[in-house]
Amino acid sequence: MRVIIFSWEYPPRVVGKLADYVKKLAVHLARNKIETHVITYHDYMTGEFEENGVKTYRVTNPVKTHISVLTWVLTLNQEVERAAANIYYRAGGSIDVIDVQDWHFIPAAVTLKKVFGIPFVYSIESLEDHRSHGANSPFNMAIKSIEWLGMYEAGKILVKSEWMASEAVRIYKVPEAKVKVAKPESERWLRTVLETYKSLREAHRSV
Amino acid sequence: MSDELRVMMLTWEFPPRIIGGISPHVYYLSRSLAKNGVKVYVVTCDFPGAPAHETVDSVEVYRVDSYKNPSPDFASWVYLMNMNMQKEAASLVRELGGVDIFHAHDWLVANAGIGLKHVFRRPLLATVHSTEYGRRNGIHSDYERMIHETEAWLTYEAWKVICCSNYMVSHVKWVFGLPEDKLVMIPNGVDAKEYEKSDIDLNQFRRRFALPEEKIVLFVGRLVYEKGIHVLINAVPKVLEKVNAKFVIVGNGYMQQSLLEHIRNIGLAHKVMFTGFVDDKTLRNLQKCADVSVVPSLFEPFGIVALEAMAAKSPVVVSDTGGLSEIVEHEVTGIKVYPNNPDSLAWGITRVLLDENLANKLRENAYRKVVEMYNWERISQQIKRVYEIVLSEYSKTFWA
Repeated sequence: MRVIIFSWEYPPRVVGKLADYVKKLAVHLARNKIETHVITYHDYMTGEFEENGVKTYRVTNPVKTHISVLTWVLTLNQEVERAAANIYYRAGGSIDVIDVQDWHFIPAAVTLKKVFGIPFVYSIESLEDHRSHGANSPFNMAIKSIEWLGMYEAGKILVKSEWMASEAVRIYKVPEAKVKVAKPESERWLRTVLETYKSLREAHRSV
Repeated sequence: MSDELRVMMLTWEFPPRIIGGISPHVYYLSRSLAKNGVKVYVVTCDFPGAPAHETVDSVEVYRVDSYKNPSPDFASWVYLMNMNMQKEAASLVRELGGVDIFHAHDWLVANAGIGLKHVFRRPLLATVHSTEYGRRNGIHSDYERMIHETEAWLTYEAWKVICCSNYMVSHVKWVFGLPEDKLVMIPNGVDAKEYEKSDIDLNQFRRRFALPEEKIVLFVGRLVYEKGIHVLINAVPKVLEKVNAKFVIVGNGYMQQSLLEHIRNIGLAHKVMFTGFVDDKTLRNLQKCADVSVVPSLFEPFGIVALEAMAAKSPVVVSDTGGLSEIVEHEVTGIKVYPNNPDSLAWGITRVLLDENLANKLRENAYRKVVEMYNWERISQQIKRVYEIVLSEYSKTFWA
């Protein structure tokens, strides 16, 4: 199985707690014989590296000056697409699943789904509704609209707690069956993640 | 794969959505390319009442829901629109079984064009109609720099960059630091046939704007500093010393009120008429009636309004700057004057108005030049040639 994880933070670039989680996930997947790629952002340390069995592909933003994290994210997505397309073509056109961590690279995941038919998992660390304390300025609404797109287009949604599962259902009206809970501290964590990936791959194959 | 060349045009405006010059440009270009055997798929923004898919003169037009996402400002809207445009275009290309080339018009569709290039591994072409640097006369804020860098990104990713004048080629080369061989100059065009149609009595029409004994001096453009409308207003009394004329000013802009007050203060309000924005038909008839058309711009990437006047057989007086310098040959297809110089402009206008023979000579030469040089048939063949060159270079790369 070949998986690409999209994350806007990954060590050594640590912004919040997502970076360490994604690293743990990628390393565990690689140990379980999953070909694991991570596409992430770095200011200048760009290019491809292999770290602990994980193939990382760091891209930088082609547009350096920005007015908000929203515009910053939206010009970075094309670089993520470029990196993913490079992996895809090199692998002879077989990527089983893309795992998008949070909202930043949902646009890229959606495009890759439309173009190559690669299904994706939307993994939620946090939601804009909580981050912005319910603020609904056009800026917050724009981010929410991208989260909505992710909820809608994703094959499955992975969350880290029962509470977040219920929040996804409450805020975005996602069908409950679409949301899977994989608690990072639980023993079943990795197995749940893997089962989710496999279920998407099987669903995709049967189409 | 069929032998037919398949191009996907990305543009943020296409008729009936008309905001600036890109919309008519892409319309005429696509139509002429289709006539020359190129299959054109236009992907553009939606417009109230316009269908999501239609075939216009053998061109397939697809309109994308572009106001889906709430947006805090114009640039964020552009990037979010690109997200939707890229998604829809990606599905479409897959349905079509591929296209040969992506052609993007200005930074407004940069993200979509660049993303499509990489996922489908097909060449991207960019036409740069204008630059943020030129529009703002420099870069003064993060907002402007972000747009400027997005334009630079588009030209970086493009296989070739098309500009509409030699002036724009050198400007774009300098402002984005591009290599010479990446730039191609292909002029903008005008459809002279549009000016042949006449369903009204022009003498009757003319009376709405001027007395029969008054010559019409026409200005068409936004009433903003860079268009040099203040230069024309300062030339008004100087022209009136020699000729009885009426100055007809078409267009809107932030300078309108101060110009009106100035004209009133010098007691010439009866000689200058501000019409505001007018529809295409009225504009064409006005251009046909004009005894002279004036383009006094201080900055002008191309100067399509001069071409339109030439197609309407109105003699032109233009400032010797930017694209205008290239369109007009002094004393042959028009009169060139010093930019930002009311005395020089007044001289040019009176020169044309007082010499009927010269005026007629300019009309004929200019019209011939428009028909020969700036017709869409010729332009689309030049663009098609660029497509073919790019595809032949592409066929030797590992992407092919």
